Parts: sequence; structure tokens; C-alpha cells
Amino acid sequence: LSSVPLQILFYVNGIYYIFYFLATLAMIVYKSQVFSYPDDFLAPDLTLLFIMAILEVLRLYLGSKGNLTEEEAPLGLSLVITVGSVILSVYFLVWQTYVLKADVIINAVLLFTYGLESVLQVIAIAAFVS
Amino acid sequence: MAVALRLGALLLFLLPPVRAAEPSAEPAPEPMASAAGPAAPPETRAATRARPRSGPAPVTDVAKLCVCDLLVAQCDVNCCCDPDCSAADFSLFTTCSVPVVTGDSRFCSQKAAIYSLDVEANPPERIFKLIDQVNPSVFCIHTTNYKQALSFSSPEMPTSENFDQLLKQFGSASFSAEPDSWNMNTDAQNPSDTNETYRYKYGVPIQTVDAFLRLPSPVVSSWCSDANPAGFLLNQATKCIRSLSVEKCGNIEAVSMLFYINSSILAVPESNQVVNITVHSIVVQSLNGMRTLLNGSDVLRLPMILDELCINIVLGVSYHITYTDAGEIIEAAASFVLGAINKEARSIQQSFEISFTQVNTKPVPLSGNPGYVVGLPVRAGFRPQGSGIIQSTNKYSQLTILQSTSNQDCLAAQGARTPILFGYNMISGCKLRITAAMKCQPLTQTLLDLLKGQSFPEFVASFGNSQAQDVLDWVPITHLHISEQSSCQIPVSLEMEVKWTKYGSLVNPQARIVNVTATITTTTLKQLPSGRERTIPITSSVVFTDISSPAEPGYKAWPTINAKLPFDFFFPFV
Repeated sequence: LSSVPLQILFYVNGIYYIFYFLATLAMIVYKSQVFSYPDDFLAPDLTLLFIMAILEVLRLYLGSKGNLTEEEAPLGLSLVITVGSVILSVYFLVWQTYVLKADVIINAVLLFTYGLESVLQVIAIAAFVS
Repeated sequence: MAVALRLGALLLFLLPPVRAAEPSAEPAPEPMASAAGPAAPPETRAATRARPRSGPAPVTDVAKLCVCDLLVAQCDVNCCCDPDCSAADFSLFTTCSVPVVTGDSRFCSQKAAIYSLDVEANPPERIFKLIDQVNPSVFCIHTTNYKQALSFSSPEMPTSENFDQLLKQFGSASFSAEPDSWNMNTDAQNPSDTNETYRYKYGVPIQTVDAFLRLPSPVVSSWCSDANPAGFLLNQATKCIRSLSVEKCGNIEAVSMLFYINSSILAVPESNQVVNITVHSIVVQSLNGMRTLLNGSDVLRLPMILDELCINIVLGVSYHITYTDAGEIIEAAASFVLGAINKEARSIQQSFEISFTQVNTKPVPLSGNPGYVVGLPVRAGFRPQGSGIIQSTNKYSQLTILQSTSNQDCLAAQGARTPILFGYNMISGCKLRITAAMKCQPLTQTLLDLLKGQSFPEFVASFGNSQAQDVLDWVPITHLHISEQSSCQIPVSLEMEVKWTKYGSLVNPQARIVNVTATITTTTLKQLPSGRERTIPITSSVVFTDISSPAEPGYKAWPTINAKLPFDFFFPFV
């Protein structure tokens, strides 16, 4: 049977991620105006944010599909992509050019969500395999 | 199942501990030995040795930073962070001029040093607290990975390796090698636009057939450089030194007349119309400085060696260019001063000037329009019986004052005068040595000539643009004599007072001369016993006084309410 908590979490994650993306983009714009943000540092940050958005869409789609069709392949792929998303979130938490307190908060929430999702995905894969 | 659990545990390990990191960035490059805090890691010291020497490192420890500590090894007053102050000094302070020293307040958490004076205690003592200041905003900087973000960057010190790269990055026209536009020989520069007519504009170098019209001028040192072009409508006068000797006088082309009139000027830039430079006049200067104007000026006189002298070398050129208002040059004339040098001379001084006149105009030099402009010469002239005002054409010699020379002897002053410029108070003087043999009357006359000059005018223009035919616009000079009653009076000072007023609108007042008074003060010449001599100072001065009455702005009258009741308003009763 599909995992209902996982599905709920995917849905909440989707909404939260939209908020996260807009907030991070707005804060990057704010930082570029208020602080000295040369182009060599601005470009990687923006690029990684957009890559993260693409990965997130893919991840949520595959995870949701795998959960609903009770197949472990898309769910496994989604788990692998989650690793990438986690690394990117850590980047925005620690290695970004300027890390504001707001950045710390939203990235922490995102990482917590990823963690919870990963656990539930693993359990779901285990349930579908057996 | 066990595999899944192990996988889950591995994933849990991957979640990084979320913890507020200490603000790792000190907002500056690595502090050097002055920071007492954590010991500088050894690799930064090695790095600073390897780097070329840069500016002094900034102090970043807030406990050590003290901006009011200005006196070395002495206690600054009211400076609570000064390490040179003892407790006894602190008891004498009234306040702390620097109460808080913090780093960048945008960080979420940073150290702050707080200095305060406890005036309750007896004697007052200083309190020093090192606290962690927290920025409550949600947008405070938690960490920054861009080290130079929040401090001024020290500029790179140029060394022999990076000089070329720095020059390319920061050097601009003023600091680069010869610009390409000087090279007139490249035809591929701009394809000629035959549709668009070029014309000269202000400041554009005047082009000749081969390059530019040269006006040699001193560059950096006083030696002449032939690469200075003359700019259109830029009246310039330059003086420079050229090295020259009798043996080489035929070889150096810059001292020959031909060099200056050789190439013809292009009437319009990038065109084929040429204007030849004509020789207007030639003045020959002899070795002792005497100048004679030559009659025929069409003969080209080239330098040649005659009797161990080199004659006909160019000492000065004065170009006069006539132009039209369409930006075309129609005439060019050059006046030369030729001189001679002898065997001992190693260098000569050349002077060059260029002036522009518009065709069909007679340039009348005005000193203001209409009010006088500060710094322009005061216009003055004479008025013979029954005619208008006559002025000298040289605007700088209409009203003049004695010019002090380096040898202060009045009688050797050789009549040097300097023009009186509007608004500039001047004082000058010389010393007169009186011997017993001097007679009163000739001395008086000489001194009067000296103080007043050769042609002391009678009328001064009240406006900067007063016309010579409007006699009423000219103010007569009032003469005053202050003398004691005695036999022989010699004039010793001439004081001119020019009273002027502001005229016209409040917003743009114009200066207008109202009154000019020339006061001559005389003193008694006492007869000296023979053999003795006396020195008396002679002064002349000019003072400009503003006698404008304070402006009274005029206001319109208050509006009145013109309310009249109709005639039959109170009808039944009136």
C-alpha cells in the first residue's frame, strides 16, 4: 500500500519549496544590493539555486509517482536525487557567500523535511520490495 | 529489512548537525602581531612573508581598538580606551568620548567593548566590559564566505611582475603611452564622410598638411617639446628653453623661421583646402636686447653664422589666426622675433603665442557685460575737449599702478607698471634714495611720473561695457592732495580708492564703479648736509570699496478686500 504520510510530506514539501525558492531568490537580490556581491560569487549562487529547483521538481515527481504506483524504482531514484538536494541545501546553509539568519532557518527546516522524507522513503521501498 | 535499517542509519548520519556557527569571519585580512586574541596561525605569517609588502594591517580586536588614543605614551583626555591612562587619570575624566567599540553591526553576534565611567564611586573609575552584542534582525549575517566583503580592500602594491597588468587594468589616457590618434599618417583611420562637412570646434587641434600646428611648450621640465598642438580658439602663450649652440645653430630646425611657416594649415579638418601662413612682421633683437622692426617682411631669414655669432634664430613666434563663424580658418599670420646668440650661449628661451580673431569683427575688450568682472582690468581713458572718450587699445595699460621690482630702487624702476584689475586691492612701492644734491622741483616731477605713470587717465568706465561715445557712463577721477605747509613737498604715496556698488537685480547684481579718488600724499623734503643720504619709501595702492547700500526687497502691497454692499442692501430701513 502507498505510504500516506510520505504522500502528505511530498505535498507539504512542494508548497514549502516554492516558498523557499522565492525567499532565497529575494534574499540573494537583497544581498546583492546591500552588500558587495561581485559577479564571480553571485553567478554560482544563482546557478545552484536554479539547479536545486529543477532537482526538487524531479525528485517530488518521481517520489510521488513511485509512492502512488507502489514501484520502488522511481522511489529509489528519488532517494538518490534527495542526496543531491541535501548537498545543495547544505551549500546554502554553510558555503553560500552570505548566510543570513533567515537562510539558516529556512535551510534547517528544509533539511529536516528531507531527513523525514528519506526515512519514510526507505520504509516505503522496504515495504514495496518485500 | 536489516539492509534497509542500515541504509536508514547511514542517511541519518548524513544529516548535518544544525548549529549556529560562530561568526568565523573577522572583517579584515589576517591581523598581524598587534591583535592579542587567538595567536596568529603560523601559515599566515609565512604567507605574509611571501607576499610583497602591502599596507599596514588593520587592528581588528575590539578590545585593542581605540580611535581616541592620539597621543603616543600619553593619556588622552576623556579617552576611556587609552591604554596609557592610569586609574588616577580616569578619575579626572568627565565622560567617555568613545563609549562603544564594535565591529560591523550587521553580524548576528559580535564582540563589543563598552567603556563607561562610574561617577558614583569616589574617585570615579572606568568600567570596561567585553560583551557579545546580538543583532536581533532576522537578516543579520550569520557567516560570510567572501572574506573581503565587509572591509576595504588593500590595493595591490605594484611590483615589477604585476606592473604591466595593473597598467592595463587601471591606466587610462593620462597614464598610458602615446595615444594612437597622434599618428596622422595612417589613412585607414576614418573613411572620409564627404556628406558631413567637418569644421573646427573649440579645443580641436589645428591640422596642417603633415601633422598639427605646433606651439612648442614646456612639458614637465622647462625644455621645449615640439609635440604640443595649438587648439582652435584657445589663446595660449608659452615660454620654453631650447638647448642651442653656435656650432649647431644651422642644424636645429626649430630655431629657423621655415619650421614655423613651412606647412600650411588646413582650412577645414580633413580637407584639401590649405591656408598658407604668411609672415606678418619680423622684429630683430640684438644681443643687448634692443628690438627693431624690419621694413620688408617677405624675406625669409634663415639662421646663419656670422662673425662667431649665429643670427636669425627664432626667439618668439606669435600666430594670429582669423576664422569664420562656420569654424573655418581663412587666414594665418605669424610675427617673428629673431635674435642672435654668441659662442658662450648654451640655450635660448623661446616664447610662443597664438590668438584668434573672428573675421569682420573688431574685438573690443570688455571688462564685463554690463557689470565689471572681478579680475578684468579697469577701463579708463581721456576726454579731450568736445569729443568722446579715448582709450588705449591695450586693455592692460589703461589704468595702471607702479609695479614693484626686485631691485627696490625707484629711479631704476624703468617704468614697470601693472594693470589695475577690478576687485583686486593692490599695494606696491619702491625705495627712493635722496642725496644732498637732489633738487626739489625735478624730484617732485620725477616722483609724480613714477607714481602716476606716463598717461594717467582722467575718466574711468562705470560699467565693464561702457561705450566710448556715452560720456555720461564714465566717471571722472577726483584728485586729492594731502600736503603739509612748507617749502618743498615731494609726493610719497598715491592711494586710489575705487568705490563701487551693486547694481541691478538682487539675484544677479552687477558691479558698477561710482567714484574714483586718487590721493597724493606729500612730505617735506628736508635739506640734507652734503654727503649724507636718506631712503624714503614710496607707495602706491589701490583699494576697491563696496558702497552698495543693503538691498531692500520690495514686496507687493497686501491685497485689500474690496467688498462693497449694494446700494439698496438695507432697503426697507434705509
